[in-house]
Amino acid sequence: MNKHLNLLFTAIGNICRNKVRSIVLILCLIAVLFPFVTAISISEGIKFQSLVSIEEGADIYVTEDYFGSNAPISLDYVGRFKKMEGVTKVFPRIVGRAYFTNRLATLVGIFPENLPESIRLSQGTMFHEKGDVIVGEGLAREFRLQPGVRFSLSINTSKLLRIVGVFDSNATIWSANLILMSFEDAAEFFKVKGKATDILIYTRSGYAPILAKQIQENVNASTSGSPETPLRVQDKTLVKRYFERGFNYKAGVFTALYTVAFALAIPALLIVSGFGQTERRKEIGIIKATGWQTQEVMEMVVLENLVISLTSAPLAILTSMVWLKWFNGAFIAQFFIAEIGLMAPFPVPSRFLPLPCLFAFIFAIVLTMVGSLYSTWRVATVPPVEAMR
Amino acid sequence: METVIRTEKVEKIYYQGKPEEVLALNQIDLEIIKSRFVLIRGPSGSGKTTLLNVISTIDRPTKGRILLHGEDVSKYSDVQLSRIRQKTIGLIFQNFNLLPRLPAWENVAFPLLPVGIMEAERRRRAVEMLIRLKLEKRVDHPPEQMSGGEQQRVAIARALINDPEIVMADEPTSNIDAESIKILFDILMDLKSKGKTIIVSSHDPIFLDYSETTFLLKEGRLMSIEHKEPR
Repeated sequence: MNKHLNLLFTAIGNICRNKVRSIVLILCLIAVLFPFVTAISISEGIKFQSLVSIEEGADIYVTEDYFGSNAPISLDYVGRFKKMEGVTKVFPRIVGRAYFTNRLATLVGIFPENLPESIRLSQGTMFHEKGDVIVGEGLAREFRLQPGVRFSLSINTSKLLRIVGVFDSNATIWSANLILMSFEDAAEFFKVKGKATDILIYTRSGYAPILAKQIQENVNASTSGSPETPLRVQDKTLVKRYFERGFNYKAGVFTALYTVAFALAIPALLIVSGFGQTERRKEIGIIKATGWQTQEVMEMVVLENLVISLTSAPLAILTSMVWLKWFNGAFIAQFFIAEIGLMAPFPVPSRFLPLPCLFAFIFAIVLTMVGSLYSTWRVATVPPVEAMR
Repeated sequence: METVIRTEKVEKIYYQGKPEEVLALNQIDLEIIKSRFVLIRGPSGSGKTTLLNVISTIDRPTKGRILLHGEDVSKYSDVQLSRIRQKTIGLIFQNFNLLPRLPAWENVAFPLLPVGIMEAERRRRAVEMLIRLKLEKRVDHPPEQMSGGEQQRVAIARALINDPEIVMADEPTSNIDAESIKILFDILMDLKSKGKTIIVSSHDPIFLDYSETTFLLKEGRLMSIEHKEPR
């Protein structure tokens, strides 16, 4: 035990004595690890917010089905669904997209009584009158919008809208580029009558799968042979699955890019860890000549790497936290959130979980070990006189 | 008379199989008796340092056998050779080979680290050794703050810290001043009086007065062996 403690203290001593090499190595590791930690924490943050949104959302989403895709649904169904056993609440919604100058915004039309209680505004009030809208923090910040401002969108310039409120910056990222208005205004804006993009059904606990099946089977059976189109029913589980599939694709794109960067970092670290390699080579030769064994030299180097990794990984996590707090995850968040550009105009969600932090530490170890173990072993196994030469 | 080291037909070839191949040691047969002061002499490039490296086990011979207490160490594994260097042989290098940035006491105590001796005890032993070598004022000084003679004494202290049976020194007078040479001889004679086997490789004739066995090398060949009565 004493021997291992001695080697550990010697390893720490070596790190402190070779300051420049140690600092450069730690900085390189931080540079490699911090994008990974940042990305994972953003990914986890978005995933968490999304799953919370899905959990808090409706139990069943119903649309019409055209060629296997979602299509607007007739409002006539609202009454029919309300009558079904186990249904607690049913309301239609219009969701569309339109450009606000050069920014693609999501327009949502909903009846005021169906607005979620969790909505928080940083300015103004909820909409009460025709043409009133609430805009997301991202749009408000980017275009300096505030309550009282009137605007129209290119898709329907005749429809004049008035901002009465701005979503709170701590609201979910989905609200950043959102324009929320009454159902009637949305219908008027998109020029649709008697239709919604989907109908949201809330059910009593445990009823969702049964109701989803009933709607799918009964309603579709009743419409077979009639001019009505079949319905497309999606429950929470399905929505979750869609979300995860889409999200994993984005995370996959980032992982692929990161893997390339990681692979490129290995030769870079080999060069950095080769800093002062001639001196190191000689040192290994000297200590072997004084009676050290190869395994003791290797143990000392492994301990050096462990200490370097234990220093680098928390620093990378700390840098990542700072990057998210002060720079809002710039350059990295765009891989996960569409159309936000380099700097997100709203607070990017993030979550630091233990497992990714552990991965950061493991990556640091892998990188440092790859950079030094083989070269050390090669030097330590040649006759000391050759290493000292 | 106990033989500590014997070499049989030892050869060392550098850059073997290449156009620049060098035969540094050629069929060396010698025997070193315990507690003797042995000098390996010869002109520059004669193979003195190579022979010392090979018999001190920090280099391997290309051919031949090296017997330490009758055991053929030329076939020993890396681990076995490390054990020999740790317990049996103390080496003093021509250019001292101290670890830069480490203070004198840590350089001296470095061979004790894998033995498992903790810092306080390591320091105590190293300081004791440095005091013996009149370096009490240099205990916490790194090599670059010491003269050549002082650095050499630190290297001697390091070689002696594990109380080896054989002490080997390569050209020990080449990088130190006259006063340091006198101190060096005092140390070597003191070690000899304690029964240690001293093996010195040097072209400096000053050692001829002290050596009991002198091996003369020329172009990698052992030209002569001279024995004198112990002093």
